[in-house]
Amino acid sequence: MKPLTLIALLLFIAGTAFALTRSESTVRSIQHSYYKLIGPALKSGTSLANTANALTREFDHSEELELKLEAAEAERDSLRIIAIRVRELEAENNQLRSVLDFQKQTPFNVTATRVIRRNPSTWWQKIIIDRGRESDITLNAPVLNAAGLVGKVESPESGLSPVILLTDEKCQVAAKVEGTHEVGILSGRRGQLDANPLLSLRFLSKDAPVRSGMRVFSSGDGGLFPPNILLGTVESVIPGASESEALVRPSVDFENLDVVFVVTGTKPE
Amino acid sequence: MILLSAVLQQFMPIIGGVYDARILLLPLCFLCISVTLNPAGMLFIAYICGFIWDAQHVLLPEPENAAYTQPVESLPFGYSIILYAMMGMLMLSIQPLFRQGKWHYSALVTGLAIFLYLTIEYLLIFFVRGRWSFTEPTLLKIIFTSLFTMAASPLVYWFLFKLADSCHYIISYEGLKRKRRYSID
Repeated sequence: MKPLTLIALLLFIAGTAFALTRSESTVRSIQHSYYKLIGPALKSGTSLANTANALTREFDHSEELELKLEAAEAERDSLRIIAIRVRELEAENNQLRSVLDFQKQTPFNVTATRVIRRNPSTWWQKIIIDRGRESDITLNAPVLNAAGLVGKVESPESGLSPVILLTDEKCQVAAKVEGTHEVGILSGRRGQLDANPLLSLRFLSKDAPVRSGMRVFSSGDGGLFPPNILLGTVESVIPGASESEALVRPSVDFENLDVVFVVTGTKPE
Repeated sequence: MILLSAVLQQFMPIIGGVYDARILLLPLCFLCISVTLNPAGMLFIAYICGFIWDAQHVLLPEPENAAYTQPVESLPFGYSIILYAMMGMLMLSIQPLFRQGKWHYSALVTGLAIFLYLTIEYLLIFFVRGRWSFTEPTLLKIIFTSLFTMAASPLVYWFLFKLADSCHYIISYEGLKRKRRYSID
């Protein structure tokens, strides 16, 4: 072995040992520095991608219109374009209205955020939202939408925050089954890649009186998630030797996450 | 190039309907770069890439909580450095072919390296978390991710050569070198 290679190998081993023995707080600060570095690129890239998508849509639409233009008046065409814009504004208005409704109805103080990236990892179910520490978003803060629990904040950064979704095995929620005394831990299941993954509700009692169609809510145990947030509906129950497990269909449509809400506190009564 | 690929990786979309597969740009750039380097350079780049990859992807341990009696373990920060070095070693093993100008073999091995990388990463997750589960969609995700990444490798090689040209760096091929001719005179 060449002396240079040997030195490089020794340095590599030392460096790897250094990285592997970093404490949680050091890793957090490394991730913080990393997101601080790439954050502006991530945000501007997202807006560029959005502009490109809008242009593509506009182009597709223009092509469609071109066929109709042969028989239609130019004025009518311009009116159509205006109508499309109005429809877009209407859709946006509806979305904002639902955001406002949710913010009024929910018992929590929430911050509305947009999803800027989804599933940026190979194995983990994550999204990145466009708000961070400056919006009072804290570590492990629950993330909701009108349908129920979406996940929790993994690490609030400045201007953005990765969120780990309920469909990930790592996002565990203390849960209870409606109409029973059954409590368990709900989490995602590994290796599920379809659009509507099922969740696993474990540690139920052996003869749990849990039936298909029963709703599952957060129990609030442990204090990480507030109680009574809808998580999903029981699909089936798998009995075990000492405990049973239920498969739960999540209430949230994870394929269509656009605006989500981060809980920043509870509203005063 | 590595930093650029780390940022672009965030924008790599899931290829719709193909088991959540996507092109792994940062590992691909690393593999293409490593085949052009000596072992020391490869180890250095493996360290940088593994460090960046983990800063981007590693999940931190959950806070201790009495309600969660069985916490889900995470892979430690830095594990990717070792995996990258292993992939780099694989690429170095075919460096003689690359130096002969047969870059297409390197492209094929890129796919194999990505396949091994993802399989080992998944097995590591199983090792730390337990509850064996290796579903067919998971296997297909690994296979398609490897195939898509492999298919993108000629582009990265092309970019790499262009970059080398613009920096006046010569990635020399032995196959293109002039052989010395000795004469009796």
